[in-house]
Amino acid sequence: MQDQLVISKGARRFKRLGALFGSTLLVALASSSVIALLFIFYFIMRDALPFFRLEGVREFLTSTHWYPSRDPAEFGALSIFVGSALVTLGASIVAVPLGILAALCLSDILPFAVRQVAKPIIEMLAAIPSVVYGFFALVVLAPLIQARGGTLLAAGAWMVLAPLFLVSTTVASDIVSSRFPQRLRTPVRIATLAVLGGLGIGALLALTGVLNRLVVSSGTNALNVSVVLGIMALPTIVSVSEDALNSVGRELREGSYALGATRAETLLKVVVPAARSGILAAVILGVMRAIGETMVVWMASGNAARIPSPWFNLLQPVRTLTATIAGDMGEADQVTGSARYHVLFAMALCLLAFAFIMNLVSEYVVRRSRKMRG
Amino acid sequence: MELGTRKLFNRSFSLVSIAAIVLMALSLVVLLGPIFVKGSSAFVFRGTVEYRMLMLNRFGRGNQAVVEAEKASAEAARKPVLDLIRGFEGEMEQRGPEFRAKYESDFRELKGLVLELFGPSPGEPTPVLLRQQYGQTRWDRSKLKLEGILFVEEYDYSDPTRMGVKVLKPRVERFRGTSMEPLFGDLERGIEEMMRPRLTWYWRFPFDDSYDSHFFGGIWPEMLGTIYLAIGSMLFAVPLGIVTAIYLAEYSGEGHFVSLLRTCISALAGVPSIVFGLFGLAFFINTMKVSQSKSVLAGALTLAILVLPTVIRASEEAIKAVPLTYKEASMSLGASKWRTILTVILPAALPGVLTSIIISMGRAAGETAPIIFTAAVSVGKPLAIWQTLTQPTPALPWNIYNLATEHQAVDEIRHVQYGMVLTLVVLVLLLNLTAIIIRARISKKLRA
Repeated sequence: MQDQLVISKGARRFKRLGALFGSTLLVALASSSVIALLFIFYFIMRDALPFFRLEGVREFLTSTHWYPSRDPAEFGALSIFVGSALVTLGASIVAVPLGILAALCLSDILPFAVRQVAKPIIEMLAAIPSVVYGFFALVVLAPLIQARGGTLLAAGAWMVLAPLFLVSTTVASDIVSSRFPQRLRTPVRIATLAVLGGLGIGALLALTGVLNRLVVSSGTNALNVSVVLGIMALPTIVSVSEDALNSVGRELREGSYALGATRAETLLKVVVPAARSGILAAVILGVMRAIGETMVVWMASGNAARIPSPWFNLLQPVRTLTATIAGDMGEADQVTGSARYHVLFAMALCLLAFAFIMNLVSEYVVRRSRKMRG
Repeated sequence: MELGTRKLFNRSFSLVSIAAIVLMALSLVVLLGPIFVKGSSAFVFRGTVEYRMLMLNRFGRGNQAVVEAEKASAEAARKPVLDLIRGFEGEMEQRGPEFRAKYESDFRELKGLVLELFGPSPGEPTPVLLRQQYGQTRWDRSKLKLEGILFVEEYDYSDPTRMGVKVLKPRVERFRGTSMEPLFGDLERGIEEMMRPRLTWYWRFPFDDSYDSHFFGGIWPEMLGTIYLAIGSMLFAVPLGIVTAIYLAEYSGEGHFVSLLRTCISALAGVPSIVFGLFGLAFFINTMKVSQSKSVLAGALTLAILVLPTVIRASEEAIKAVPLTYKEASMSLGASKWRTILTVILPAALPGVLTSIIISMGRAAGETAPIIFTAAVSVGKPLAIWQTLTQPTPALPWNIYNLATEHQAVDEIRHVQYGMVLTLVVLVLLLNLTAIIIRARISKKLRA
């Protein structure tokens, strides 16, 4: 029986050799992404190291004098690093709370039918090319901020702070009044509400007054870029943290509900803590998207290589690593091999190393949580 | 806490998180709204007689006799204005140097503005630059130019505590009491006859060659460049990506090599796009010398590495989604593993793989940073297919940047910029929509 299936020994050997060859080829092709990553590291490093040999590391990391075309040239990139960090910080302030809230909404609050509509919105936000965001920031948002920056900020402050404040006042008055005996509770509650409410509204009005008087000298500034980068980072944060929230089982939620917790309490005290590593990974990925983004910052950040004063003043123009690489390469290209050319590779190396480390961290976090859950 | 407060907190939490989703949807509307509204003005607008002349001369479109007759009647309407200008030139000659010194610079400015509006009148020498050979081709631009003629922008610095306030002063004040005075009224009244605006549906905008660095014509070189880059990158990324996906889904266990492979793929996905650009420059152009300098080939190779992780992940998911029973049935019929993959699993996973290819294509079409140093130039002609191996190309994303920031007359060609952005957005969203539809059909099939 067996002899009929196997034609000859030679054919079998040939077949085995073929299979061996095939699987070797498969492994070789499959490892192309490993090779690509190695090559990226090697070639960025090959052109970055001459810079450190020529100019040293200290000036690069500690000086704020960025005059690459002067003679003698100065390559102090501190302000550029600060610019990148500032813009990323701004973007995460916008994207992280919004993204996590939206993910919670998608995973637990919205009914299925609405979710099916909301998902494509996120996909569209993720699919729109970065240059389109950049164009929007430069042509639509920048003139708007320049003309009505203060008003926009005030409206934003009201939108964020007013509901937050309302909720916290109610909760605070509840906590205060619960310390009093039963018959005093209602008057105490009304009194605390009135006092806290008055204080809060006063503070908000004062803030509005200050913001309304702000003069924005240029619409292409860190605030503009932060907002747009935040919107760009949103889809990543939402979809990754939604996955994490969904992977928290029904049992935990049902247990919490069975103990009498409301949905908000269940989400905040049970589901989010259980999914925190996944959410952390989502935040890391979102931040990486913001820091590695080129076109938006190049077009709309103002490209001024100095640290804003005070450092948190987002209304001043900044310059980031990515924008410097994109903008200076055109001029540095002609003199391949000069310090001016290599400094851009040094910056790329910093970006690459940072992205790589963050990626490893997020992967580690996710893996550990998976192991913990079993 | 009291139950009432807890309920209130619960409800307000739901509201706030729904507000987050609404805000996201709103930001999409705010982003796409101006792009769609203003972008459509590149396709539908009121074109003047100059536009029809341009179309006739450059593209051979339109009825020659009709357009020329129209142009002639527009010229006739413009004649009184041009006559006034010519007359004033003579007047300046006659009335001596004092009169001349008073009016000359104002008159020169006005004459230049009228020339910009109407283009050179018949009999005058043809200017070298194409943009000066025609008047305003669009009615909205014509009206802006007319406003520039009728009014002078001045800044009022009388209040030292505030910034200068823009004031519009009628230009006619400068020519009070001269023969030029009626010109302004004539222009304002007769502008429609002089320009003859008519609603124009320019659907050829994405497919027309551009003239004089996008002052006229469409965006075909950019479209073609983007198509070349997107398809070219897929040519490299798809085979590699699918083979890797097959390996990950079918061949690998959970060894060290596989976990290394997965780490590398996610690390590759996290590399900033500008770093890919530098890598493409350092590796493909400076080291491998795939071309002398920038070329479509180098750009496509760079983009291919950029989208490789996306292709791999999505294809792997598609392959893993094929029910195990397919594979078992094929194996039980005696087919080898390789044969099973090629003839059973891949065809079953094809729609999913196709989705991944389409989404990655959209990504490759929209990326700017990797092609800055490897493939993109600002101005260029549409390339023939064999030229892509050696020559750089204009591409939509790069030229959106370039036109919006580096063009010499950024404000004059806003409609082209918006039209380009709209074209790119529609292109990318259409690709994504196709992917979504395919995916929906697959999930329906799997559910049934």
